[in-house]
Amino acid sequence: MGRPVAIIGVGQTKHGRRMDVSYPDLVREAVMAVFNETGLTPDDIDGVVSGTMPSMMEGIALTHFYFADAMQAAGKPIMKTETCGSTGVSIAHTAYYWVASGMADLVLAVGHEKMNEGNSQATMTTVAEPFYQRYFISGAPGVFSMQSQMWMDRYAIPEEKIRDAAAFISVTHHDSAFDNPYAHIKMRVTMDEVKNARIITYPVRLLDVCPNSDGACAVIFASKDMVKKLGRKPAWIRGVGYRGEEYFFGDSDKVVWESAIQAAKQAYDQAGIKNPRKELDVAEVYNPFTFQEMLFYECFGFCEPGESPDLVLKGTFSRKGELPCDPSGGTLCTNPIGATGLIRVAEAALQVTGKAGDHQVPKAKLALSHAMGGVDQFNGIMILGSKL
Amino acid sequence: MAKQVAIVAVAQNAGAESKDNFYDQAYAVTKEVLDKAGLTRDEIGTVVSASSDVFHGGISCANSYYWETTGAFLKNASRQDGESLFALFYGAMRIMSGHYDTALIIGLCKGSENPPNDTCTLMYADPFYQRGVGLTETMAAAFQMRLYMERYGITEEQCAKVAVKNLGNGLRNPYAHKKGRYTVDDILRSERLIDPLTALQVAPKSEGMVALILASAKKAKEIAAKPVWIKGFGSSLDSYYLGDRDLLNGQLKNAADRAYKMAGITDPEKKIDVAEITEPYAFQELMWYEGLGFCGEGEGGRLIDSGFTEMNGQIPVNPSGGVLANNPYVSRGLQRVVEAVLQIRGEAGERQVSKTVKMALAHGTHGYAGQCHAVAILGR
Repeated sequence: MGRPVAIIGVGQTKHGRRMDVSYPDLVREAVMAVFNETGLTPDDIDGVVSGTMPSMMEGIALTHFYFADAMQAAGKPIMKTETCGSTGVSIAHTAYYWVASGMADLVLAVGHEKMNEGNSQATMTTVAEPFYQRYFISGAPGVFSMQSQMWMDRYAIPEEKIRDAAAFISVTHHDSAFDNPYAHIKMRVTMDEVKNARIITYPVRLLDVCPNSDGACAVIFASKDMVKKLGRKPAWIRGVGYRGEEYFFGDSDKVVWESAIQAAKQAYDQAGIKNPRKELDVAEVYNPFTFQEMLFYECFGFCEPGESPDLVLKGTFSRKGELPCDPSGGTLCTNPIGATGLIRVAEAALQVTGKAGDHQVPKAKLALSHAMGGVDQFNGIMILGSKL
Repeated sequence: MAKQVAIVAVAQNAGAESKDNFYDQAYAVTKEVLDKAGLTRDEIGTVVSASSDVFHGGISCANSYYWETTGAFLKNASRQDGESLFALFYGAMRIMSGHYDTALIIGLCKGSENPPNDTCTLMYADPFYQRGVGLTETMAAAFQMRLYMERYGITEEQCAKVAVKNLGNGLRNPYAHKKGRYTVDDILRSERLIDPLTALQVAPKSEGMVALILASAKKAKEIAAKPVWIKGFGSSLDSYYLGDRDLLNGQLKNAADRAYKMAGITDPEKKIDVAEITEPYAFQELMWYEGLGFCGEGEGGRLIDSGFTEMNGQIPVNPSGGVLANNPYVSRGLQRVVEAVLQIRGEAGERQVSKTVKMALAHGTHGYAGQCHAVAILGR
């Protein structure tokens, strides 16, 4: 690892359907929140990392131009990182490497999305290859439904058990969202409601799926010297992992999902983590679909392959379980895509600094954050700790 | 910056329309740069690409599409959007962080399959006020050019001289897309696109897959006979709305100062031996001379009149023909780096400048009237 780097402040908008603000004002809300939180000013910042989903979703190309002023980035060095759904975590990685390289002491990372003014599923359809795959990989649910089916089939998990586990995840995350002041969907749901919700793409039902959210997140990364100087409680970056795989869906195994497995392994190796379920105190897994969350548990080594539905139903990953996952309500309740991965990182930072409020996991010291993107292609991990 | 990150191999493809598809072009350049470095894909630590979506790439999340053809399969890789020099900076940072010893950097653009440049740049305009009036990069440049001429008494002839020089230099560059021997008159009599800009003063849209391999100091010593070192880099972003900005005093000076400071350069007009800069509009090259500190404010016209930036001048600027000769929009910044590396290594063929090149500058810009600038200093 290079120079030590820590997160010293995070800012989020109130996520949801934000027709009360323009897109630049949404970005400004998150950026000003982190400045208010830290007491820093734009003058203190050495560089800004910006990122979103592709221009078709934004309604504008090369968004760093349009948001230059909202990000307080005028006159600053800038990077523009974009890796589809994993953008949020990739922005965090860019800010990390910038500080770790010694080229900056304070870097502001900003992710944002205003999905209610765009068409997310139409955009995602244009990620798929135009000649062969676009016709059947339309939007996100198609891909993830196929992946879920593959997974159920591979380990011969009874459908009833999987539905129960998925419903359990949906119920607990929706409950958790009530404890997160920034979460979008705040709705009590029951197991029966989830299991009988309208089918989106079999086996995925409406309450297994994340919403379209408007939201932004801003995070400040600092060098060790700056942490000392500012005297703020740091969330140290302990591991940074990322992997991407082939474009054509069907060329690779999405059950034993190498990009997820290897991204986690890279981060674990850096953080010295051998038994993630024991050593991690909390995880913010990118979970736009309930089924996929269980698959991630397995790929990240939280449990054995095919074992996750049983453990979910036992409460292993619930708020009071052995390894609480997504105590913020996660992506399932809030998904402004370009910001979502960075929100996972921010939530992990809040947890290890004891600032997560009502959804704080007691005594959390080591946290995993994650985002996924592309046509089931990219996985990025950032591990944060209260100690270096 | 001490010798921390070296460029050990470079590759690019030609700017004219190619019948090879995006994927195959990207693969060919990736393979070429690996072969030149004597490395296999497995030996590459990280990959950073630069590309843009939809309007400059035909697909959303363009890096999803080309991921494995750039050698990134199951690697820790990332991607920068809009300015390919960012990918160079990011790759250098990844090496400087101590995590990686080698990085493959690639800028990808297939201009022949893209819509006209300004159909793309219209999408930079905010959708409520500016897009409706048709603000594009060319229109913003026309405003800037008029302002520049009026403020400093720069003439249309002086602006046209940039096109004469660069399209002429392009004749010696086998990769150049647009080239020719023109007179100032030819340039000024070409079609007037948006007054005062004429067609030959505006860059084309070109193919451009541009790749290079970076290595840490230790690794570079093992694998490269002629490493070119990254001495400094910097970028700067300006405010968004044209009316909020001083179009004649933008962010280039900031970006350049950051790069010069890192490189320990206080007198660029003496230390820089050759410069490859991004001049999508001829007059901008004159403005960028000033921003880079090659001359004083408003003196860009006089500088080109003096021959200072010709092939045999004190600082030859764009011996490759620059962006007027070859404009793969997203990867053009990285192409400037490749050309600068070739000059330092003395491998630029017919376009090699006659003076000895120890220190070279590469510059990229994108956005209305140069909203964003990036500068890299390279040296032996």
